[in-house]
Amino acid sequence: MLIENILGAAEALFTIQTMALMILGVAAGLIAGAIPGFTITMAIVLTLPFTFGMPPIQGLATMLGVFVGGLSGGLMAGILTGIPGTPSSVATTFDGFPMARKGRPGLALGIGVWSSFFGGIISAVLLMTLAPQLARVGLEFGPWDFFALVLFALTITASLSGDNLVKGLIAGAMGLLVATVGSDEINGVERFSFGFEPVEQGFSFLPVLVGLFAFSQLLSDVQDPAKAREPLMPPGAKAVRIEHAKAIREVLSRWGNLIRSSLIGVFTGILPAAGGSISNILAYDQAKKASKRPQDFGTGTPDGIIAPEAANNATAGGALITMMALGIPGDIVTAIMLGALLIHDVIPSPTFITDSPTLAYGIFMAFFFANFIMLGLQAVCLRAFVMVTRMRMYVLTAVILAYCGIGIFALNNIVFDMWTLLIFGVLGLAMKVLGFPLAPMILGVVLGHIAELNLNRALSTSDDLTLFFTRPWALFFLILAVYSSVFPWFQRDRGKKRWTLWFLPAMSISMAPPLFLMGGVARPIVGGLLLAVGGYLLWGHARNGWQLESVAEHDVHLEET
Amino acid sequence: MGRINRDVVIAVVLVVFTAVFYGATYGIRKTSYGTVGSEVWPRTILIALGTLCLIYLINSWRARHETQGERGGGGLRGWFSTYRNALLCFGMYALFLATLDYLGMLIGGILFVFLLLNLLGGWSPRRLAIHGAIAVSTMGAMWAVFTFGLRVFLPEGEILRIW
Repeated sequence: MLIENILGAAEALFTIQTMALMILGVAAGLIAGAIPGFTITMAIVLTLPFTFGMPPIQGLATMLGVFVGGLSGGLMAGILTGIPGTPSSVATTFDGFPMARKGRPGLALGIGVWSSFFGGIISAVLLMTLAPQLARVGLEFGPWDFFALVLFALTITASLSGDNLVKGLIAGAMGLLVATVGSDEINGVERFSFGFEPVEQGFSFLPVLVGLFAFSQLLSDVQDPAKAREPLMPPGAKAVRIEHAKAIREVLSRWGNLIRSSLIGVFTGILPAAGGSISNILAYDQAKKASKRPQDFGTGTPDGIIAPEAANNATAGGALITMMALGIPGDIVTAIMLGALLIHDVIPSPTFITDSPTLAYGIFMAFFFANFIMLGLQAVCLRAFVMVTRMRMYVLTAVILAYCGIGIFALNNIVFDMWTLLIFGVLGLAMKVLGFPLAPMILGVVLGHIAELNLNRALSTSDDLTLFFTRPWALFFLILAVYSSVFPWFQRDRGKKRWTLWFLPAMSISMAPPLFLMGGVARPIVGGLLLAVGGYLLWGHARNGWQLESVAEHDVHLEET
Repeated sequence: MGRINRDVVIAVVLVVFTAVFYGATYGIRKTSYGTVGSEVWPRTILIALGTLCLIYLINSWRARHETQGERGGGGLRGWFSTYRNALLCFGMYALFLATLDYLGMLIGGILFVFLLLNLLGGWSPRRLAIHGAIAVSTMGAMWAVFTFGLRVFLPEGEILRIW
């Protein structure tokens, strides 16, 4: 069955046209990722209109190329100039730039490129093996469980998005509200149109997303008139020869760090809404903690490049696992991809992999091969990147604003969609200026329909509201939602206040009961392990006399990838 | 504004916004079919949103003295100067959309890019030439890709239609 699916997907994927588009996509992603201020999400958004006319597999393969290229492109700018190209390569600069300044830019780039490659491959393998398993688990979910999962996705996004949880939650609720405007999907009743005809059908999903994200991002990039007229980056970036052989030896000799960081990346990606901007910092901190020479970090040690680069590429695979198995986007990029799938009338859900095996396995394979293409194109794109850095931000902004307009019009051939883009662009910029994170709002828009549909199904099936707390999976996600809501305070007070010593043990212990309720063999064992971990952590704190521990230097915050 | 800060104003605006939308849920048509009414989900969101906005209002009110010093000076002029480029982009984009029926995507797009480049980058003769070349080449290429490559019928506008 697996071989059959892989062969079927390979036949659809390995055409000259699709391969050429993937190469183009990876090259575009590498260059876009390398430009500070030009995020991967924006590159994906700009690619999207070109994929409307393509078959789903071709369109998604192209976008995956951009995604993988973008994740790796950020390292070029970070290592050569010290300015990270994307938030997912922030930690790469901590050691990549010092190594380059010590006269080894070729080795630093090589380590970054090969760590990205291995991280991507490890996560591609996990994607192929874990996504079908997770989808099987997803088949157990009832509407109560899906609704609780959406709540968890929104609370974790809000809590990771900034210092102010309330603002994050308000943004998430606003996103849910935007999704209710127009004709109700279930009863076909018009809502919140206020007699204005163009919104009677509701706002199209992609103009809202592009407006909120890309439009507002571009406008904040040109806010400073003097800076907008300067070249994208200060002179200093030079194309260098990548030392591949030495880099491979360095990376493989540190295989423990490579695998640990890749697993951190995959796990972070699986969490709804947590992306590469978090995983690269987490992996860097863990690598430093695990190192025998932590004092070398920050001075140009290979471990400091391997950890963030392996983790950020691995995050992509993790995010795809959640999207394909549950239909819940793992981050903003996968939210856009979800939109692309919906355009092609493909709705990811737990049955997606079994219902559309050619497309599902095609996505797996496209992600796998995009990493090889990325490896081959790094050297070529390095030269293009050096040329692109001479451009001015205002030129990019003007051209991309026009492209966004054309792309959005091409979606439904409706001019009102372009107005939607403008309205949500204004809203997005206003939110940014006022300190409201955009990620929860985007997730709210994406997940609004799923939440409403499942709430409706749940209430139609039974009017017993206690089912939201008594069904094991729903309870599990609600517990996670509660702890993710408290996470910002935990992060603020960690190492300063005693109550934080209880946070992780309490979370471990309270996650165990729903797992026991699920029955079977494996899940109660996991529940038992969680109880044991919680007990062990409590015992550890008690043994230390409830002394506060020093904490990692870098706070974990979600930024648009 | 005396004792109130920006967050308090935003919180009040949000509370009013939530109240208006909550009121609008009573205008949602009730159907004889369907177990759950179409107003249930929006009301659930609005109750949550309203609660969050009130918490935000209380927090902002309590913190108003701490943030007094954060308020930027310059008044309206300062605000315009800070957001000059963003306002130019929004204004030009709105103009581009308003004239789309007459100028079409190609001419309107070229003019939009050209004017915006000049407004953001400057009007020197050298820049005018460079900006013109950028506008024509980028918009021309994209228009060609969508029209001939992807077979998307972009608005041609009154001017091109007459030609």
